[in-house]
Amino acid sequence: MVTPCSTSPVSPAARAGRRDDQNLRAPVKKSRRPRLRRKQPLQPLQPLNPCPLPGDSGVCDLFESPSSGSDGADSPAARGCSPLPGPAQRLVQLDLQTFRDYGQSCYAFRKARESHYHPRESLARQPQVTAESRCKLLSWLIPVHRQFGLSFESLCLTVNTLDRFLITTPVAADCFQLLGVTSLLIACKQVEVHPPLVKQLLALCCGAFSRQQLCNLECIVLHKLHFSLGAPTISFFLEHFTHARVEAGQAEVSEALEAQALARGVAELSLADYAFTSYTPSLLAVCCLALADRMLQLPRPMDLRLGGHPQAALQDCLGKLQLLVAINRTSLTHMLPLQICEKCSLSPSLK
Amino acid sequence: MKKFKRRLSLTLRGSQTIDESLSELAEQMTIEENSSKDNEPIVKNGRPPTSHSMHSFLHQYTGSFKKPPLRRPHSVIGGSLGSFMAMPRNGSRLDIVHENLKMGSDGESDQASGTSSDEVQSPTGVCLRNRIHRRISMEDLNKRLSLPADIRIPDGYLEKLQINSPPFDQPMSRRSRRASLSEIGFGKMETYIKLEKLGEGTYATVYKGRSKLTENLVALKEIRLEHEEGAPCTAIREVSLLKDLKHANIVTLHDIVHTDKSLTLVFEYLDKDLKQYMDDCGNIMSMHNVKLFLYQILRGLAYCHRRKVLHRDLKPQNLLINEKGELKLADFGLARAKSVPTKTYSNEVVTLWYRPPDVLLGSSEYSTQIDMWGVGCIFFEMASGRPLFPGSTVEDELHLIFRLLGTPSQETWPGVSSNDEFKNYNFPKYKPQPLINHAPRLDSEGIELITKFLQYESKKRVSAEEAMKHVYFRSLGPRIHALPESVSIFSLKEIQLQKDPGFRNSSYPETGHGKNRRQSMLF
Repeated sequence: MVTPCSTSPVSPAARAGRRDDQNLRAPVKKSRRPRLRRKQPLQPLQPLNPCPLPGDSGVCDLFESPSSGSDGADSPAARGCSPLPGPAQRLVQLDLQTFRDYGQSCYAFRKARESHYHPRESLARQPQVTAESRCKLLSWLIPVHRQFGLSFESLCLTVNTLDRFLITTPVAADCFQLLGVTSLLIACKQVEVHPPLVKQLLALCCGAFSRQQLCNLECIVLHKLHFSLGAPTISFFLEHFTHARVEAGQAEVSEALEAQALARGVAELSLADYAFTSYTPSLLAVCCLALADRMLQLPRPMDLRLGGHPQAALQDCLGKLQLLVAINRTSLTHMLPLQICEKCSLSPSLK
Repeated sequence: MKKFKRRLSLTLRGSQTIDESLSELAEQMTIEENSSKDNEPIVKNGRPPTSHSMHSFLHQYTGSFKKPPLRRPHSVIGGSLGSFMAMPRNGSRLDIVHENLKMGSDGESDQASGTSSDEVQSPTGVCLRNRIHRRISMEDLNKRLSLPADIRIPDGYLEKLQINSPPFDQPMSRRSRRASLSEIGFGKMETYIKLEKLGEGTYATVYKGRSKLTENLVALKEIRLEHEEGAPCTAIREVSLLKDLKHANIVTLHDIVHTDKSLTLVFEYLDKDLKQYMDDCGNIMSMHNVKLFLYQILRGLAYCHRRKVLHRDLKPQNLLINEKGELKLADFGLARAKSVPTKTYSNEVVTLWYRPPDVLLGSSEYSTQIDMWGVGCIFFEMASGRPLFPGSTVEDELHLIFRLLGTPSQETWPGVSSNDEFKNYNFPKYKPQPLINHAPRLDSEGIELITKFLQYESKKRVSAEEAMKHVYFRSLGPRIHALPESVSIFSLKEIQLQKDPGFRNSSYPETGHGKNRRQSMLF
């Protein structure tokens, strides 16, 4: 009843309907930059389906109204460089106005909430789920989330939901995967326009679980977490710090966006690793950005103290991240837009 | 392969070999070997793992999305991993991925070099659950896992869980507090008496009710959970958002009652919504009250926007008002914690009359300013007694907007001339009309403020935070800006509701208008 105009004869988006039509959607005005967001889930992956991740830099096109095309020009990363219609094209623009209006208060709010939502030692009392199986599950969930064209925010929320549930409930090894897809579903229901269908998620598990099991587990997870689901995420803090450094004139827009994209790749690696669950999202975001700056050799790297974290924790986290990146160069290069790989110190390792 | 293994369990001791680290990790976790083995995956084709090693897992795992090398020995996993990480790529990049693949991360040759891109398959068909080696079930029993393989919720399970569930570990949320509250009746349906049904929608039914604990009236929004897709998105969003939103101008979520089949949200009860309020005063509100209501809308919205929450469905029916004149934003089913700005929001979100023109023209990416256009429309409606742009279709709505504010041009709205939809409509070139002609009761400061809301370019619209500081509100005094979030503006003695000139003493709950208000509580 909310939307009397869904029958509007004119809006292509209205006509597009649900996900199946997404690829067929007539270009709405802003498709000057091709922005394909959702592949048809479960279809074989084809190169024709560029998925926005991981260059899906959330900050950029927030707020892009029909009128704002002219402002996009301030990002050379988007305009100038790539012949690739790839993720990098999403580095379009920052929404500095909204950041000025609400950025700091929003940051303060999330920062204050993060310890409340931070799962510590989620596996400490799990009899069967191990750090290894957690890593295995997440190493599977990460490409799954990407194949659905889901946002990095969804992925972060998934991991948070998973870990927080693990604190509350011992989970048998053989339904850990079900918990994984259930967490993904709950996360997507919060932030995605089109969450994956239960049917699709079940198919991903090769029919190991039933619809009823998934729905029941969803119910139990919601209940155990008391519907407290809106955890502050690394994704949010990466965007915030990126805005903050641009606003403060500490980095060019293009530099900041590239650093953010690289940091996001590093952050994604860290999500799968249990060793990093001891750090809060804001701390991880600062360290990922700082590391990205070093790898990109930015002239004015980010100030580690930006988030007010203790120096020892920062150095500790940064060291571990460096190691993580060092041993995952290959995966990382494949996660990133080409133009970023070329610029950062990852490239030589390919040889 | 080694790299992938390292990634799988980074123990962060650079000097050690991987296998040492792995075993050390396993020891740390003090996990019985059996149970970890039982967690080995099965690949879609049903072939059981040839061994219980990580190698076999990776081998099959990567095989599941890269057909030709499916049964390769695991020497090439490193290369396969690359394709796994690089899956969502566009065409031009994939070529490069394959070049990388050939190199092989460990210097191992990749026999899959001939793999063409369309042979790359979904990574997703993996079963991490072992249904063949079910020895685990005995261990399950021994360990009394609370989440075993077959998840069935017995009748009343959740209610019992609420009361009995022993804390497995330190509480993450307000577990302990909730537990103690449940002893006095929170979280239990018995605590609330349903009085009358207020309305019914696809997902929810709303009842007027009374709490036995406090004897207060409440609104009970009962959401059915048994859907194909599990719990409705709107319910998950509304609850998780409202739990974090505590403000004098946002409707309070008192309690959540979660049973197996339904979820009941217990809200504070407010007598009417703004639509009903305007009807009851014959659409002639006191201009002072208009100011008070507008200020409260902005105050609630600024609070939401500070938390990256957009309401996205502002309309008079969603603004609830009690007899003191306190106004509260309600119905956050469409709102969402907005921290993923790249995602487009559905085009059919805002009720047409209050929908901004950029959204009407197909913009699907918007920010907090999406709510501000609607505020302008509601402001006008309160001041003039009639809706500003009561369009029935998108075209009609745009037409009404342009007729009053002038058809936009490249000068007045940069970018509009290249908008295909705008071009297709081919609207006549209207000149902007003075707003004062349509809302003669508004003073010049009010007109100036409304103009700031009704900007074509969303980024030019004034923010809720800024609007509260506008000179229009100066007559309310300075203290109103310093109130704590949870305190009503009517706690200040200088802030008082005036009698509305057109007020009739109607018996509002039974009027036809009641329907609108009730529906607004639904999805």
